[in-house]
Amino acid sequence: MTARKVLWHGIVLAALALLLYPVVWLVGTSFKPAEEVLSTLSPLGDDPTTDNYAQVFDGVGEFGVWHYFGNSLLVSLGAVVGNVVSCALAAYAFGRLHFRGRGPMFGFMMITIMLPHHVVLIPQYVIFQQLDMVNTFWPLVLPKFLATDAFFVFLMVQFIRTLPRELDEAATLDGCGPAGVFRHVVLPLLRPALITTAIFSFIWSWNDFFSQLIYLNDAERFTLPLALQLFIDQATQSAFGPMFAMSVLALLPIGLFFLAFQRFLVEGVATSGVKG
Amino acid sequence: MPRLARRAGVPLTAALLLSAALAGCGGGASDDGSVTLRFVWWGNEDRAKVTNQAVEEFQRRNPGIKVETEYSGYDAYFQKLSTQVAGGAGPDLLQLDRATVGEYAGRGVLADLTEHVGGHIKTDDIPDTLLAGGEVGGKQHAIPAGQTTQMLVFDPAPFTAAGATVPSAPGEKWTWAQFAEAVNKVGAAGSVAGTTDFGWAVDWFEVWLHQNGEALYTGDGKLGFDAAKLTEYWTMVSALRPGKGATAPEVTTKMDGSVQNSGMVTKQSASEIGYDSSLTGYFTSYGPTVRTAPLPSDTAESGMAALPPVLFGVSQRSKHKDAAAKLLDFLVNDPDAGKVLGASRGVPPNSEVREQVCGAAVDATKLVCDHESAQEDKIGPSFGPWPTGSAAVKRDFQRTYDDVIFNRVGIAEAAERVVRDAEQALGS
Amino acid sequence: MVDTALTRPSRAQAPPPPPRARRARAGQGIAYLFLSPWIAGAALLTIGPMAASLYLSFTDYNLFDPPEWVGLDNYTTMVTGDQRFWHAAGVTTRYVLLSVPLKLGLALAVALLLNRSRRGVGLYRSAFYAPSLLGASVSVALVWRAMFSTGGTVDEALSALGLDLGGWVDQPQYALYTLVALAAWQFGAPMVIFLAGLKQVPRELHEAAAIDGAGPLRRFTAITVPMLTPVILFNLVLEVINAFQAFTGAFVVSSGRGGPSDSTLLYPLYLYQRGFTDFRMGYASAMAWVLLAVVAVITALVFRSARRWVFYAGEEGR
Repeated sequence: MTARKVLWHGIVLAALALLLYPVVWLVGTSFKPAEEVLSTLSPLGDDPTTDNYAQVFDGVGEFGVWHYFGNSLLVSLGAVVGNVVSCALAAYAFGRLHFRGRGPMFGFMMITIMLPHHVVLIPQYVIFQQLDMVNTFWPLVLPKFLATDAFFVFLMVQFIRTLPRELDEAATLDGCGPAGVFRHVVLPLLRPALITTAIFSFIWSWNDFFSQLIYLNDAERFTLPLALQLFIDQATQSAFGPMFAMSVLALLPIGLFFLAFQRFLVEGVATSGVKG
Repeated sequence: MPRLARRAGVPLTAALLLSAALAGCGGGASDDGSVTLRFVWWGNEDRAKVTNQAVEEFQRRNPGIKVETEYSGYDAYFQKLSTQVAGGAGPDLLQLDRATVGEYAGRGVLADLTEHVGGHIKTDDIPDTLLAGGEVGGKQHAIPAGQTTQMLVFDPAPFTAAGATVPSAPGEKWTWAQFAEAVNKVGAAGSVAGTTDFGWAVDWFEVWLHQNGEALYTGDGKLGFDAAKLTEYWTMVSALRPGKGATAPEVTTKMDGSVQNSGMVTKQSASEIGYDSSLTGYFTSYGPTVRTAPLPSDTAESGMAALPPVLFGVSQRSKHKDAAAKLLDFLVNDPDAGKVLGASRGVPPNSEVREQVCGAAVDATKLVCDHESAQEDKIGPSFGPWPTGSAAVKRDFQRTYDDVIFNRVGIAEAAERVVRDAEQALGS
Repeated sequence: MVDTALTRPSRAQAPPPPPRARRARAGQGIAYLFLSPWIAGAALLTIGPMAASLYLSFTDYNLFDPPEWVGLDNYTTMVTGDQRFWHAAGVTTRYVLLSVPLKLGLALAVALLLNRSRRGVGLYRSAFYAPSLLGASVSVALVWRAMFSTGGTVDEALSALGLDLGGWVDQPQYALYTLVALAAWQFGAPMVIFLAGLKQVPRELHEAAAIDGAGPLRRFTAITVPMLTPVILFNLVLEVINAFQAFTGAFVVSSGRGGPSDSTLLYPLYLYQRGFTDFRMGYASAMAWVLLAVVAVITALVFRSARRWVFYAGEEGR
């Protein structure tokens, strides 16, 4: 038994060592002095320094790091709430209810995932401009509340389809309508998918540099990735060090978020009293 | 797609696009009669710091004008700018470069500044040779924010060690054969190539064309060279590779025009062709030992020109063209603004301001000023902006050169492909 | 055409309509109520821009001037007169075929490895997810170039093994593999979804099977795999769609060029170049719709095959 455990830990750690080397390199490089950033190939520089971090904290535009951090947090949490609520509702309808036009609507939804977003960018920008939402957080959050991230709808539909129908029927016999079944049967059993949606929504909208770039104009509303890119067009190499430091800093919150929420993935479904 | 969408979507979107096209843009006038301008540029933090400082001063002198500034990296800047302009919400005052000014002006994005020239915008002290860089279709659509010219930047040490001489004193010049001999010596002697392979950038081909009495583009935006010329040029450049006079394909393919990724800064070569506005970058990233030389030429024509590294333009849809023109004028002509901005966009376009800035210059800025004055008699008039479609030409040129250096295609065939693609791109 | 190809399989997947009962008709209203956010989103933000891009694909739209109708010109130019279009299509096809199986295989293997309650498993899970947290930023691109350039980590490691390939990033014949490696390295999303799917497998089934004397392997093939098929289908469909649309990685690693020598010119990257650097948004829109048609057909085929291998516990009358 213990031998098997040791073997398992061995396999996991070996795989991690290989996979995490580039991450270690990135973190290590953020502690290198400017002249070593790209010239030394080992993950650790000859004389580590925290200069890059100091530069980041001094120099990010007119607002401090915490200000951008707060903006990113606001946008990401908005995305989490929006996606979890709206996608769960839509997925229940697609996965369990009968209504006219279900097939075509589902097909249309799948198509929205397939169209490269670069070509809808400008028309969408025009819409948000007409709604007077440019330079606010709305264009980054509102779409999530309207279930436009079809990825998550599809994800939940697939999960709902794995739930045994006997459960619905039992609930229906107990006098539940469709809303009651959703509330008392589907939602609790859908937890792994909901958690997955929450985790991805948070991380992806945290990293979604592109939309933030297009829609936010004032430095006051900048998110962390947007503030980060101010370093990128430096005509000198000295910019790369702070850039790596910034990447590490931006990584911390989403890393912690993942660490905190992945626990909920562990807890099994339909188990009673067995510890997860 | 669903029939509903076909019925409602197209008119709806057409209406949206149309209303965007008709809508104004930029800031609005507020109740107290003051106007708000949006002014955007790309660049690093140093440029941002001094630009914002100059803008502060402008606002102090013009209490009725509020300026909102925004800057970012190059790629992000153009991604955002094109989206916002297409959506009808562009800025009032914007920064462009040689590669983009023709693309934007040719599609009616920039206001014709002719009525402001001499009015809000004074150009008396800006050399005509430089101003030509902002003329599109014979009209001034942009004002140069600085001046730059071509250079060979090099580290004297490897050249001296290899027994090669570089003519860097004022008035000296050299031929392509002498240049080839020098870089081949360095390549044979040391661990680095003599120069960064420069065949990838259409910019340096343009210089060579001018030396031979031709041009990259004709005045009416057509292609100015044929495949034979390009074959001749690429054959000349390619002859430098076998002896390590020029960098290996694996290095050359990474070139993107930025200093930090350049062959010299990544310690792969001892020299490279560039614009003198990048000298600050070489000074800090490579070291203060760098020096400059003129480009080689086999004719009396040096091929070097007074070029705007960046230009300022006013949006055609701006509601406050006068205020924007005022700010533009302040940035390029005002002595106080010039003092603050220094050489953050090349040496200042205004001759008076330039003398003042160059008089007090130290370090990298001094290198730029020295190069400009040493080459003064060789620097010809601006080549003029590249026409619409030139962005594709620039990109295809580099991609095809990749094929050449990796031996995937012969030079003659590659040159024909460049010409064919370019004619297609310019024709649209 | 696209629409029928796609909806037929999903309709086929939809459970057969129940006997005409009151339930069905009463459920209509409530179903639309559940769908209302999605319908609002489609009406407000999705249908319009999609229709616009379809319309623009028949025009010479250049971002700044009003679009002029050019009929099928963009489509015919693409297919007959544009070598790079075919080249980019080839690059993307190779990328899809290489990266999807690799990424899904890794994700499933690691998910199975981590699907147990041992001490430290949460930390391990997060560590495996770490590369995916990074997304595709400029920093990641720099890291990747450092790993795969000549004299970089991978070059050194392979040389030590006697394989002297040189750098991958800067050679046309290997550059695409760096993007495949980047995609496979960031297998976190399908891994998490597999993990969530594994949690959906009722433990009672395993316990019952164990009592019946089924060994671990038998339980895996008879219970875990069938119960996991809907999630496998989801990951397969999504990863195929994602790989066809892969853009950011190629964009940052090649500085937006798709080099060296167009070897990493993925189709969406070429589309982007056409739309935003050449200002030919009409052409780019046409390219987008061609891609959509191809991906839709492939997705439809995957869905069709799914009827044979996907097991839904929630389906009636299987």
